Amino acid sequence: MSDPTIKDFEAAIAELETIVKKLEEGDLALEKSLELYERGVQLSRFCHSRLEAAERRIEIVNERGELKAAPSSLNLPDEDDES
Amino acid sequence: MTRLPFDDDNNHTAVRKVPEVPKGSKGLVPQVSGVRELPSNQRTQPLEPSGTPGTGVSAGSSVRRVVLTVGELNATIRDLLENSLQTVWVEGEISNARVWNTGHLYFTLKDSASQIKAVMFRSAVRYLKFKPEDGLKVVARGKVSVYDPKGEYQIICEHLEPKGLGSLQQAFEQLKKKLAAEGLFDPSRKRPLPALPRRIGIVTSLDGAALRDIIRVLRRRYPNAHLVLSPTRVQGEGAGREVAHAIRKIERIEGVDVVIVARGGGSLEDLWAFNEEVLARVIAACQVPIISGVGHETDFTIADFVADLRAPTPSAAAELVVRRKDEFFGHIDRIGERLDAAIHHRLRRMETRLHVLEARPGFAGYRGRIAVRGRHVAELAASLRQCMNQSVSRRSRRHDLLRRSLDQFDPRHRLAAVRTRLISRDAQLQAVVRRRVAASQHRLGALAARVEGLSPLAVLGRGYAVTWDAARTRIIRDAATLTPGEDVSVTLERGSFEARVTKVDG
Repeated sequence: MSDPTIKDFEAAIAELETIVKKLEEGDLALEKSLELYERGVQLSRFCHSRLEAAERRIEIVNERGELKAAPSSLNLPDEDDES
Repeated sequence: MTRLPFDDDNNHTAVRKVPEVPKGSKGLVPQVSGVRELPSNQRTQPLEPSGTPGTGVSAGSSVRRVVLTVGELNATIRDLLENSLQTVWVEGEISNARVWNTGHLYFTLKDSASQIKAVMFRSAVRYLKFKPEDGLKVVARGKVSVYDPKGEYQIICEHLEPKGLGSLQQAFEQLKKKLAAEGLFDPSRKRPLPALPRRIGIVTSLDGAALRDIIRVLRRRYPNAHLVLSPTRVQGEGAGREVAHAIRKIERIEGVDVVIVARGGGSLEDLWAFNEEVLARVIAACQVPIISGVGHETDFTIADFVADLRAPTPSAAAELVVRRKDEFFGHIDRIGERLDAAIHHRLRRMETRLHVLEARPGFAGYRGRIAVRGRHVAELAASLRQCMNQSVSRRSRRHDLLRRSLDQFDPRHRLAAVRTRLISRDAQLQAVVRRRVAASQHRLGALAARVEGLSPLAVLGRGYAVTWDAARTRIIRDAATLTPGEDVSVTLERGSFEARVTKVDG
C-alpha cells in the first residue's frame, strides 16, 4: 500500500503518537478530533498493511549477485509450523 | 651477534667444545686445501666424535698442525649442530621480535638465564594464526643452525605456538584487543534492527542445520517473511573471506534490511572463519544491521562482537527478528487503543453536555410542545446511546478488529447516519401533520355542507322571511311581543331590510 502522505514506518509511528497525544489532551473541537482520529486510523492501517504486504518467499543470491528462487527443499513442510 | 656479550660466550662455548674432538683427529685432515674441496658431509667426517681418536692421537703426534679458515670452522660447526640437533622443541619468551620487509621474522627466545637467536622464514610465518609479540611465552619447533657470515648460531623455527593458550585462542585475544582499540565493538556503533524488514538476509551454509533452524523459526512466527539467502562455506581455509564476500553480495540486494550471519555449533577451529579479521571488517562496514548467530550459547566469536546484535544461536538470531516485529505491532496496537479511547472519551463528554442541555427548562419546555414526537425522540436517544455503547465495547477489543470494521466504526459515518434518520423522521412528522390538517379541512367542509342543509335560512328560499328584533338578537315568533312603532329587521332569502311595526294583530 502506497500512500503519498506517509513516508515510512518511523514517520507513521511518530505522527500516530503525536495524534494520540493531541487527542488525549482533549482541547480540540469535535470536528478536528474526528479529523485526527481518521488520520490516526489511516496511519495504523498503513503499518499493518505493510506486514500483510510481505511475500512468503525464499530467494538465493548467486555468484553474480543475482536473485534466484531457492530450491524447494528449503521450503520446509508446513507441519513444522504446528510445533 | 657480537653486540650481545652472551652471544660471544655461547660462541666461545661452541667453539671450545668442538676442538675437543679434533685434538686427536687433526692428523686425519690430510691437506688444508683438500679439506676445502671436500663435500661438506665428508668434511665433517674427521670431526665426528665417533671418529677414531685413538688412532688420531697416535698419528697426530708427529703430524703438522692443521689451520682452518674461519669459514671452514663455521661450516664444520654448522654441520655438527645440524646433524646432532635434528629437530628441537624449545620453550621461552619472545623478545626483540621484528618482521623484516622480506617477511621473515627475527626474534630472541629467552628464559631467566639464557637466550638464543631465532628466525622464522616467511613461508612458515604465513601459517601463524597469532602474531608473535614481545613478552609472549611460546613453544618453538625448529632446527639449530649457524649463520656462517656472522658465526652466529640460531634456531630456525618451523612452528610456534603460544604457551598456555592455544594459538587460535591467542590469535582471538589479539584480534579482539586490536579491534576493540579501534572502537569496532563500541555500543554507539550498534544499529537498531528494522521493525519490519522488507527482506531478511541470511548468510550461512546451504546445507547446515543453522539454515533449517532459522527458516523453521521464521516460518512459524513470521509466516510471510521474504527471505534472501547468500550461501557460503562457513568453515575451512579461506572461509572467513567467503563469508565476508557473501555479506557484501547480500547487502547490495534491494530491500534487504537486516542480515543474519549464522553457523551451527562446533569447535574453535570449526568456528574459526568467524574470528578472521577480514570478516570482522566487512561486518563493521556493512550497510545493513547484522545479527550474528554463531555456535552455541557459550561460543563468542569476533563476528559476535562486531555485529550489531549477537544471538547465542542461529534460531535465536531469527527469534530476534521476530521479536522486533512483534514489539512493533504491539506498539501500534497500543497506540491504536489509545487513539480509540481518546476519541470515545471525547464523544462521551459531548453526550454528557447534550444531556445537561436537554435538562435545562427552556429545552424541556420545547420538548413539552413536541410531546407528540416524544416516542421518536426516545428512539433516537436510544439509538444514539446504542451507538456509543457499541463504540465503547469495541474499543476494548483488539485493534485489528477495529481496523477491519473501520468503515462502520467511523463515528463520523455513524453521526451522519443518525442525522439522516433525524431528518427523515422530521419529514415523516411534517407529513403526518399535513395529512391531519387536510383531513380536518375536509371534515369541516362536509360538516359545513350538513349544517348548510339544516339551516332555516334554506327555508327562506321558499319565500319565507325571518323577523328579528332591531338588535337581531331574537327571532320574533309571536306578534303579541311587538308594539306598534317598534323597529324590526327582516331577513329574506336574499338580503334583509329594516321595518317599523304599524299595527299588531293579536
